[in-house]
Amino acid sequence: MKVLVAVKRVVDYNVKVRVKADGSGVDIANVKMSMNPFDEIAVEEAVRLKEAGKASEIIVVSMGVKQCEETLRTALAMGADRAILVETETELQPLAVAKLLKEIAAKEAPQLMILGKQAIDDDANQTGQMVAALLGWGQGTFASKVDLAAETVNVTREIDGGLETVKLALPAVVTTDLRLNEPRYVKLPNIMAAKKKPLEKVSPADLGVDVTPRLTTLKVAEPAKRSAGIKVASAAELVAKLKNEAKVL
Amino acid sequence: MDFTYTDDQRAFRDAMRALLMVEASPERVREGWELDAGISPQLQELIAAQGLSALSVPEAFGGLGLADTDWALLSQEFGYYAVPDAALNTAYPAACLIAALPDAPSLQQATLPRLAAGELQLAISHPLNPLVADADRADLVLAWADSEVHAVPRSAVDVSALASVDPARRLYRVSLETGAGTRVADAAQGEVLWRELINRSNLAICGQLLGLTQRILDISIDYSAQRKQFGKAIGSFQAVKHHMADVAVQSEFAKPVFNRAAWAVEHGHPLRDVYVSQARLACSEAAALAARNGIQLHGAMGYTWECDLQIFMKRIWALASSWGDAAFHKARVADWLFAPDTEIGPGKTFI
Repeated sequence: MKVLVAVKRVVDYNVKVRVKADGSGVDIANVKMSMNPFDEIAVEEAVRLKEAGKASEIIVVSMGVKQCEETLRTALAMGADRAILVETETELQPLAVAKLLKEIAAKEAPQLMILGKQAIDDDANQTGQMVAALLGWGQGTFASKVDLAAETVNVTREIDGGLETVKLALPAVVTTDLRLNEPRYVKLPNIMAAKKKPLEKVSPADLGVDVTPRLTTLKVAEPAKRSAGIKVASAAELVAKLKNEAKVL
Repeated sequence: MDFTYTDDQRAFRDAMRALLMVEASPERVREGWELDAGISPQLQELIAAQGLSALSVPEAFGGLGLADTDWALLSQEFGYYAVPDAALNTAYPAACLIAALPDAPSLQQATLPRLAAGELQLAISHPLNPLVADADRADLVLAWADSEVHAVPRSAVDVSALASVDPARRLYRVSLETGAGTRVADAAQGEVLWRELINRSNLAICGQLLGLTQRILDISIDYSAQRKQFGKAIGSFQAVKHHMADVAVQSEFAKPVFNRAAWAVEHGHPLRDVYVSQARLACSEAAALAARNGIQLHGAMGYTWECDLQIFMKRIWALASSWGDAAFHKARVADWLFAPDTEIGPGKTFI
């Protein structure tokens, strides 16, 4: 069974991003980039399925600038078999990514597609759902457990107040939540081995997809700064302030 | 000389950093102090599983056969997270020495595949280091005897422990018998092998010192942004800023010297001994200044047990005289500088 995993190159989660002076976005010049953490979980899950003998081949896909190759190499070092880079300088929005993934899925015919539930840069949480709809496949989002069988996959989803388990007919789309697994550390020899694994490059035009952005970012601003707190002398004073000044009681 | 690190070298650094950031937190480092090994077995296993010890082992023996500049960024991560240096010593200078032995195929066959698999630990006994780090846990001690190289099994080595200023280091006075049965390189071969080992051990220390310097800078800058006096963060006072700026400048000036030394060792440059010693002096001075100014910036609490700063400054002090103190390295530079045929001056000294 082929498993397709989508990975996105984002600003590293340890980096504190800064808003550009003109408010048009965040400054990513000379900022450390790495794989979206939810996508790392997706790759890890696919590798575990392969190690369990349930998957035969793992294909990782990334889209964007040339440097996405580094992200794909990381996924290959984690255990994926081959990689596809859809190279473009155009800003890719969730619908464009979903369309590109649909075309790659049509070409590769995977039985399972795994994605992170969202990327930590735009927090859109849309691509998995959109690609499932475009392909007409079932979707199991926010997965905290994936149990793959020959024809179906049981996905335990994290929902408000508990867990929900859905059974999907294959092929299907699964998006990963934080508690699905703990990604492995990349081993140094595997970084070298990953260089020898195949990495195919295509363009959106090769796939026949128009990726022109449909949304315009009007303004990006930092969250309002919190004002300094105050110390109160007693619980009674605290209650009085919450009641009279903050008016939350 | 191209000092740009390759994508692979940066990928190695990132992979090691991702591991150490989580698994070698100051809390974990402190836990290691209470253990016999000075490091938690879990962290040791994780480092071994990372494949670190395979890097310098030739490909024919199951390793990656990488070179000296590949260690430059990795050793800085070891310093930044204050990982005890036994794993680094085994994987880098000791592994390179065994791989370079000209007439010891049986020893290479017996050790290098196990090294690549992370199953073998080595210790090095040399007059430059009267106390041998981690001798108690080593499977094999590589010993200097009148410039010869001897490989002595742990069972034939008597060790007695001594305390180190760094609670993570395990130092031993060793007593071992060398003879024809343990000799793996004669004195003529040994001169060359020990020279390279001293250079590589010092490169490993330089990298750690740069990492330790950066860590003290980061900790001190964080602290200076939080600690307030006269209603302001102390980091806003110029006199405090200058302490850290001095450290940053020294560290940045030491980096290219270190890079040149790593490049020179990798390429067998005729002046590699001088370059390594020059790097060692520059990195040691930057690290010593970081430790001194870090304590200053933390006020009275910089040296206390509770403060994480002590982890890093004590490692700097512990490494200060490892593989040659300042006098040894200054003498190596001076021997070259004051030789009658040395060409010095613009366009000569710093090429």
